[in-house]
Amino acid sequence: MKSEKIEKKYTPEIPTKEIEELRNSIKTASQKIMAENIERMKKTDPNRPEAMKYFDEIANLFGKRPAEILAEKEKGKKVIGYMCLFAPTELILAADAIPVRVNSGWYDASKVGDRVVPVEVCPVIRSTIGAEMIGLSPFLELSDALISVLTCDGMTKLSEILSDYKTIWGMNIPRVKDSAHSLRFWNDEIKLMKAQIEEFTGNKITRKSLKEAIEQTQKATKAFRRLQDLRKGPPVIMGRDAMLVNQAYLWDDKVRWTEKTEALCDELEKRVQRKDWVCSPETPRVLITGTPMFWPDNWKVPTLVEEANPKGIIVADELCSGERILNDPVGVDEWTMDDMLNAIGERYLMSSTCPCFTSSDGNEDRINWLINKVKEWNVQGVIYFVVRGCMLYGMEYNRIKKALDKINIPAYYLDTEYTREDVGQMKTRVEAFLEMLTARTEI
Amino acid sequence: MITVGMDLGTQRVKAVVLKDDAVISRGQAFSGFDPAKAAEEAVKEALKDADLKISDVVYFVATGSAMDMAPYSNGTVSTMGADAKAGIYLFPKARTIIDVGAEEARAVKCDEKAVMVDFIVNERCAAGAGTFIEAMARALEVKLEEMGPLSLKAEHASSINASCVIFGESDVVSLIHRQESKPEIARAVFDAMADRISSMVNRLGINPDVVLIGGVAKDVGFVASLKRKLGVDVLIPDFPDYAGALGAALTAATRAKEGKK
Amino acid sequence: MIWEIIGDILRIAVLAGLGAAGILTILIWKKNLATRITYTRLVIQAVAFAAIFYVFTYSIPLLYVLIVLFTMTIVLGRLYCGWLCPFGLLMDLVIPLRKAFSIGYRNVPEKLNKSLHQSRYVILLFFLFLPILLWRIQPPPNFNFAVVMAQLLAGPFRIYSVLLDPMIPLVVPWKGPLVVNQINLSYPYVQDIINYAGKNISEIIAIAFVGLTLVGSFYIRRVWCRFCPTGASLAVVNRFNGFKWAPLLHIEKDEEKCTKCGVCKRVCQSQVPDVYEQKGGKITTSMCTLCLRCAEMCPYADALKVKLGNKTVFKSRNWLEPSTSE
Repeated sequence: MKSEKIEKKYTPEIPTKEIEELRNSIKTASQKIMAENIERMKKTDPNRPEAMKYFDEIANLFGKRPAEILAEKEKGKKVIGYMCLFAPTELILAADAIPVRVNSGWYDASKVGDRVVPVEVCPVIRSTIGAEMIGLSPFLELSDALISVLTCDGMTKLSEILSDYKTIWGMNIPRVKDSAHSLRFWNDEIKLMKAQIEEFTGNKITRKSLKEAIEQTQKATKAFRRLQDLRKGPPVIMGRDAMLVNQAYLWDDKVRWTEKTEALCDELEKRVQRKDWVCSPETPRVLITGTPMFWPDNWKVPTLVEEANPKGIIVADELCSGERILNDPVGVDEWTMDDMLNAIGERYLMSSTCPCFTSSDGNEDRINWLINKVKEWNVQGVIYFVVRGCMLYGMEYNRIKKALDKINIPAYYLDTEYTREDVGQMKTRVEAFLEMLTARTEI
Repeated sequence: MITVGMDLGTQRVKAVVLKDDAVISRGQAFSGFDPAKAAEEAVKEALKDADLKISDVVYFVATGSAMDMAPYSNGTVSTMGADAKAGIYLFPKARTIIDVGAEEARAVKCDEKAVMVDFIVNERCAAGAGTFIEAMARALEVKLEEMGPLSLKAEHASSINASCVIFGESDVVSLIHRQESKPEIARAVFDAMADRISSMVNRLGINPDVVLIGGVAKDVGFVASLKRKLGVDVLIPDFPDYAGALGAALTAATRAKEGKK
Repeated sequence: MIWEIIGDILRIAVLAGLGAAGILTILIWKKNLATRITYTRLVIQAVAFAAIFYVFTYSIPLLYVLIVLFTMTIVLGRLYCGWLCPFGLLMDLVIPLRKAFSIGYRNVPEKLNKSLHQSRYVILLFFLFLPILLWRIQPPPNFNFAVVMAQLLAGPFRIYSVLLDPMIPLVVPWKGPLVVNQINLSYPYVQDIINYAGKNISEIIAIAFVGLTLVGSFYIRRVWCRFCPTGASLAVVNRFNGFKWAPLLHIEKDEEKCTKCGVCKRVCQSQVPDVYEQKGGKITTSMCTLCLRCAEMCPYADALKVKLGNKTVFKSRNWLEPSTSE
């Protein structure tokens, strides 16, 4: 770790007083927003499962969980933050370190980021830069090192900018994934990252520890899939609740998260038996796909969808802040170190539906995934959510729309920004879309 | 059966009274800072014209950006839904309805039963809506209602930036300095708007017949430019600015009938 | 005579019983979904080994075995290769030995794998025409390559040749000529060859062959299967339009459920890329030995199905229960 003053390459010097003011004001606002989001979720579902209380607590980004991580750090554990789902969390867990995803979901922080990069840059990036500049994110502050994966333009430059503050390792991801040499290259990156993590934490990743880490993640995937499967039928859980549970994995303790999610699924199964639906089974079923939506401020659109008039329910999503987190397990053939590393490399590269990839026949993995999801979860409409500045998701829209038109599923391109000011406009659009879906089902 | 539709737009509130599927009166008021009060005024004006009282009305439906603030309301309907209903009512063969209002432009595709199939709204910028014309009229020092007829006098058009009102205004100023004539500039303003709106509609895809509604549809200059840019004929009803309220009133009638069942 | 038949029935019954017991044990004991099929297959392979050994103690005209095998391949695909072949069993038994030393397997580069795959036609043709070739050559009294090859494949070591099992059906020596329409279909010269060859050399070569293949399969899984001519009949027949239904037992892929995660390609013991690369539908490849590792390890339910005609016999499922042993 660097002990001398790092000469900042990108970020300006800000007086400490200003940093503290900004941090405190955004933190206070954010705590209000988190509490409000949860209140609204509670109101929409009067029979909200008991198990959700745990997740409400963990959802407080300034509360229990950062305190726990701090306690672990004091015992000597290292914390490694990451900014993209390609980062191999199994390796981090095997080295007895704590993985935590640090993308910023704070709208106000993006204004701070505007001092460093142009406004046209993806707001998630600007917000993460801003959060780091004022030390807003507890997880970012607790991270001893960061892993960034060079997927889109924003991510690529973000790793340079954040190196003003922290040790950051960039993982070079090939843009064509469907090729043998890309896989070889990525597997090499994984091996390099393994060595990097071992050196940094001072712990060797043994066959046993890696096997345990993979098995733990497989257990989590099992619980995760169980939850998503329960959303296939009539609605037993609000989309926002499920999305919160999904996202909590990114910063929560993995073992505990698995237990609590299994408990939640048990409760939900009882609800299915009692036919205790959260809303009428005729409510239009919506799938959200597109740019990741980070807690807490980005609950804007899901809240609109589920509280609109007529209301809808989110039954599935294709977001890397949602169902993409744990959808795919690591498939190990023989539990040798080589095979485990190959399996990890493959799982992270091959099964990804991120639009940062391209192939000669187009990103059909994402389309296949979406179409399968639409069919099995009985989705009636797709909201294609894009933040302004996200080239990759924005550019894929036409392709996805054509594929969805073929199976007669309406899609709506909803673009927004990291701002609360456009809630009114978002509302009219979302309501019109849900009205359209309702009318279609009534026929 | 008497129903009333209210369209709480950003500039004005419009109200339409529907009796057994025929429009019998209209009313309007400026929204200002209190759309709810303006809506009350508009409704009262319309009812007075038709010699009716509030209690005669069976069902009220509100639409428009401030629809949640509407008084008397029994329910709301989205502007897109209302537009579709109005479009089919006015022109049964309508399948694409373009609504250009003061702050926002939108287009809706529907089927013969007025069920929405797809819709698109313009990006959060006023360069494709009515306020653009107002701003440009200011820059040209011309009255708003004169812009249309003025532009029709132009023989050819210059071009201005239509991506932002601010840029557009400075473009107009530079055209004036280049001593382009006012008709040419006015025409350029409408062409820019039509360009914006037609590319939005093309993204949605055009199904004939195409109907144009909303306050801006009254402007002959805009209509001429739009027809040119779209390349198809555009049907315009009488009172295009009341189409939203009409759609709301029709929705009220449908809902009242279903309720009665 | 009757005692012989009863003896035969008893032997078959015992074998079948042991096989069933083995499978039941696996199903109860092994909870890990990701390896159950593999263990079941191991049991069936062991039973088949015993059965085939027993079959070869009889003088069943190997031509009939050959015909059965080749016909079976057309209908059931290379099921024999994955589930019944004793040589396959031997190669599969090397795997736990290798795992015990924590040595990883190696993969043959894809292009080389494809050309090895093509070379099996050469091997098949070699064995089919070898007798014709030798017919023209007077078998010399001294040691020579052809003699040695024939000795390797036939003769008094037939019982031990069960180790070289796949090759046996390809050469057809038996007692007595087979004359059909005045065409002599047997290769009686081989008996003569056997009389000439020295016992030691052929034994050394037999052991060398088996040894080399086992050593090869230590690093490369199922190394012989990639050039074994047993699958050739299926490949040849599949080229004709009338045989598109062949084989009845096949793997089918649902393109929409496939996430291209690549697990199927990685765990395949014969390095068959077709399950991964084909865009859905029936997987048509004669490289696949139907070991079903891909379907077993595919983490997405219903993406890969093993079908007999139209009936689904096995399908991929969510195996997310981590191993407790291994």
